[in-house]
Amino acid sequence: MDRRTFLKSATGAGVAAAAGGLAMPALAQGAAAKTLRFVPQANLANFDPIWGTQYVVRNAAALVWDTLYGIDSKFQPQRQMVESEEVSADGLTWTFKLRPGLKFHDGTPVLARDVVQSLVRWSARDPMGLMLRAIQVELAPIDDRSWKWVLKQPFPKMLLALAKNNAPCSFIMPERIAKTDPFTQITEFVGSGPMKFARNEWVPGAKAVFEKFTDYVPRSEKADWLAGGKNILVDRVEWVIMPDPATAAAALQNGEVDWWETPLSDLVPVLKGNANINVDIGDPLGNIGSFRMNHLFPPFNNVKVRQAVMTALNQEDYMRALVGEDDKLWKELGGFFTPGTPLYTEEGGEMMKAKNVAAAKKLLAESGYKGEPVVCVVAQDMAATKSMGDVTAELLKSIGMNVDFVATDWGTVGARRAQKTPPGQGGWSMFHTWHAGADCINPAAYTAIRANGEKAWFGWPDVPAVETEVTNWFNAKDLAEEKAALGRLNKAAVENVVYAPTGFYLGYQAWRKNVSGVVSGPLPFFWGVSKA
Amino acid sequence: MLAFVVRRIVATIPVMAFVALFVFSLLYIAPGDPAAIIAGDQASPADVERIRASLGLDRPYLVRFGEWSWRVVQGDLGTSIFTNLPVTQLIAQRVEPTLSLMVLTLIFAVVIAVPMGVIAAWKAGTWIDKGAMAFAVLSFSVPVFVVGYLLAWIFALKLDWLPVQGYTPLSQGVWPWLKNLILPAVTLGLVYIALIARITRATMLEVLQQDYVRTANAKGVAQKDVLFLHSLKNAAVPIVTVIGIGIALLIGGAVVTESVFAIPGLGRLTVDAILRRDYPVIQGVVLMFSLVYVLVNLLIDLTYTLVDPRIRY
Repeated sequence: MDRRTFLKSATGAGVAAAAGGLAMPALAQGAAAKTLRFVPQANLANFDPIWGTQYVVRNAAALVWDTLYGIDSKFQPQRQMVESEEVSADGLTWTFKLRPGLKFHDGTPVLARDVVQSLVRWSARDPMGLMLRAIQVELAPIDDRSWKWVLKQPFPKMLLALAKNNAPCSFIMPERIAKTDPFTQITEFVGSGPMKFARNEWVPGAKAVFEKFTDYVPRSEKADWLAGGKNILVDRVEWVIMPDPATAAAALQNGEVDWWETPLSDLVPVLKGNANINVDIGDPLGNIGSFRMNHLFPPFNNVKVRQAVMTALNQEDYMRALVGEDDKLWKELGGFFTPGTPLYTEEGGEMMKAKNVAAAKKLLAESGYKGEPVVCVVAQDMAATKSMGDVTAELLKSIGMNVDFVATDWGTVGARRAQKTPPGQGGWSMFHTWHAGADCINPAAYTAIRANGEKAWFGWPDVPAVETEVTNWFNAKDLAEEKAALGRLNKAAVENVVYAPTGFYLGYQAWRKNVSGVVSGPLPFFWGVSKA
Repeated sequence: MLAFVVRRIVATIPVMAFVALFVFSLLYIAPGDPAAIIAGDQASPADVERIRASLGLDRPYLVRFGEWSWRVVQGDLGTSIFTNLPVTQLIAQRVEPTLSLMVLTLIFAVVIAVPMGVIAAWKAGTWIDKGAMAFAVLSFSVPVFVVGYLLAWIFALKLDWLPVQGYTPLSQGVWPWLKNLILPAVTLGLVYIALIARITRATMLEVLQQDYVRTANAKGVAQKDVLFLHSLKNAAVPIVTVIGIGIALLIGGAVVTESVFAIPGLGRLTVDAILRRDYPVIQGVVLMFSLVYVLVNLLIDLTYTLVDPRIRY
C-alpha cells in the first residue's frame, strides 16, 4: 500500500466512522427524551450508604434502596415498605409487617430476614441505631413478612429512627449483602428501591447511571419527600459529575444537562436570566454554618473566652461572605436548631445576636486570656469554610485575640480535628464546617449539639445540662414536652457555647423548563419528575 | 540501537522504584485522613478509627510499603479506598479520554506551531514575526481555565457549535468524539503552541544563517523547500526535545482542562484522589505518569536518529 492509497483508505474509514457517529445523535435524542441528566452536589465516589455517610451517597442510595418508613415534608414518619406496625402496651415490643409483593432488583422477594440483617448493620453505625442497640433484647424475624424488635425500655422515637433522612438511613438490603461488616464496603448494589444501579456504567468521578426498576411497587399515596408513591417517570437518570460550577452552569444553559442540584450563588443571576431555566430553593432546611472551638485546651477551655467570641460574632458578616447580597438565602439564628421547623427555639439565645465587640473585649479581659495563639484551621478548597474562616480571623483579631491561621485543605482538616493534642503540637483551636439543616431539626441526628465530653463531636464539649435535655427529648411523649426540652437545651448550649453557629443559609437548585415535578427537599427526589 | 533501547528500558526499573518509594513516603507523611472523609462529617472519632483500621491505615509504614510494592511488582496497583474498585480498572476507564485529549492537542499544536515558528524566523523583524510572537506570549500568559471558559462561552453557548462539556468514546463515532475534544484541545494546545513556536523560531533563526541555506537560496531553490526541507530538518532536534518535554506540560494542563470541560480523564482522577487522600489511586496514577514520561523521553531520543543521521546509539 502506498501513501496515497493509505490516506484514501484512512479518509474513507474516517468518513464512514464519522457517518456512523453522525447517526448517533438521532438515536441518542430518542434515548434522551427518557433520560434525565442530573448534576449532583458531589462525586459519587463510593456507594455504600452505611459505610460512607456522605450526603451524596445517601441521595443516590435513596433511589436504589427503599426504607421501612419515609419522612414527609411535615417531618412525620410515614409507612413505606411497611404495611403495618404494632407496639405492645408497655412500649417494649414492636412488631412490623412488610407490604406484599416487594422485590429486590435481582428478582428475589424482600423478606423479614433481609430487613433484620439490614437493621443490624445500620444500627451499628447510626446514632439512633446505637441507642436502640443499647436497649435491645431481641431483633428477629417472625415469618417471611414480619419481624419483632424487643427492647429493655420504651423508645418513643422508633418510627422516626427508621424514617429519618439523615445519613445513615436504614436502607433495606438483601441479607447476604447486609451481612457485610458495617465498617467494610459492600460490593453488590442490589436494593428494592424504584431504580436500579447500572454498575457497569459507573465511572466514579464522572458518571453514575440509574435505570427504572419495572417491578417496583409504589405506594398509592401521593409522593411527599421520602414518603408516598415513588413513581419514576423516566427510564434513566444519569448523574453527571461536574466539579466546576461554571461548566455546570454552561451545560445547563446549553441543554446538555437537565437539573443542577447546587448552583453556585454567584452564577444564579445568569441562570435566572435564562428563559429555559427554572431556579428555586433546593433544600428548604438549608444549612447551619458553624465553627467549633476546642474545649480541651486554652484558650477555648475557658467558657468566658468562648462567650466573648460568640458575643462579638455578627452572623450577617458570615452570611454575606457565603451567599452574597441575596437576602432570601439567609437568616440570623437565635438558636442551634433549624429555623422554620417545629422545634426551633431561641430560648436563651440573646448572646448569639449580641454583635457587641465592646462587651466581647470586656469578657475576654475578665477571662484572663493571656494571648495564647488560636490555631484556626481553615479548609481552602471549600468555598463555605474558606469564606467563614476569613471572617472569623478578622473577628478574633477585632477582639484582641492572637490568630494562627492555618490554611489547608478539607482532607487535612478532617484528620487534624480528630487530634486531641494541644494546638501547638499538631492539634487545633478551631475549625469551620456546616451542618445540614435536616440534621438539626431535633437532637436525633444532631451530632454537633451533643456535649458528652470525650464521646462528643470534635471539640469535645462537656455540658451535662445539654445531655440531660437530649435524654428528655428522646423520652418526651408529646410535642409540648419536646419543645420544652429543646428550649432548655438551647439555653444551656448557648451559655456554654457548645459551638458557634454562624447563621442559617439556603441554596438554590436549577432545572430546565422541559423538566417538571422538581420539588424542594432535603435531598433531590426523582420520583414524580418527568421530562418533556 | 537495540542494545540502547534495552539498556534504557532496564534503566527505568530503578527510576520507577525510586518514584514508588518517594510517592509512598510523601503520602505517608502528608497530612489528611481518608477514613475521616469516608466516615462523613457527622461521624464520631471512634467510627473514624474503626474505618481507619478496616482500611489497614493504622499499620506500620514498612508493612504497608512492603505489601504495596509486592503487589505492584505483580501488576496489581491495589484497590481504591473510596470506590472499592481496582486502581487498574479506574485508570483503564480514564486512559482513553486523556490520551485522546493529549494526542489531539499534540497534533493541533505541532501543526500550528511549527509553521508559525518557521515563518516567524523567515520574516524575522517584520509584523508577521512580531504578531506571531505576540500571539505566543499571549497564549503562554493567559491561564488555561480562562481560555477554556472563553472558548466554551463563544463556541458552545453563543454559537452553539460545540458542546460545553463531556466526552464521547471514539467507538461511538469520530465526529461525536471529536466535537467534545475540539475546545479542550485548542485550550490546552495554546500553551503548547507558544512553547513550540518560540523554540522553532529561535532554532530556525540560527539555521537560516548557515552557509548551506545561503547556497540553497543562491541556487534558486524554492523558498518553501529551503525553509521546510533544508532548514527545518536541521533545526528539528531542539524542537523534538521541546515537544517531548512538553508532554509533562500536557499532563499538568490536562488536569485543569479536564476539570473545565468535565472530561472524565486521568487528570480529574488524580485531583479527586488527592483531595480525598485515596492513596492507592494517587500512587498508581503517579507511577503510570512517571512510566509514560520515561518512555516518551526514550521515544524522543530514538526520534533524534531519524531527524539527524549523525546521531547514533
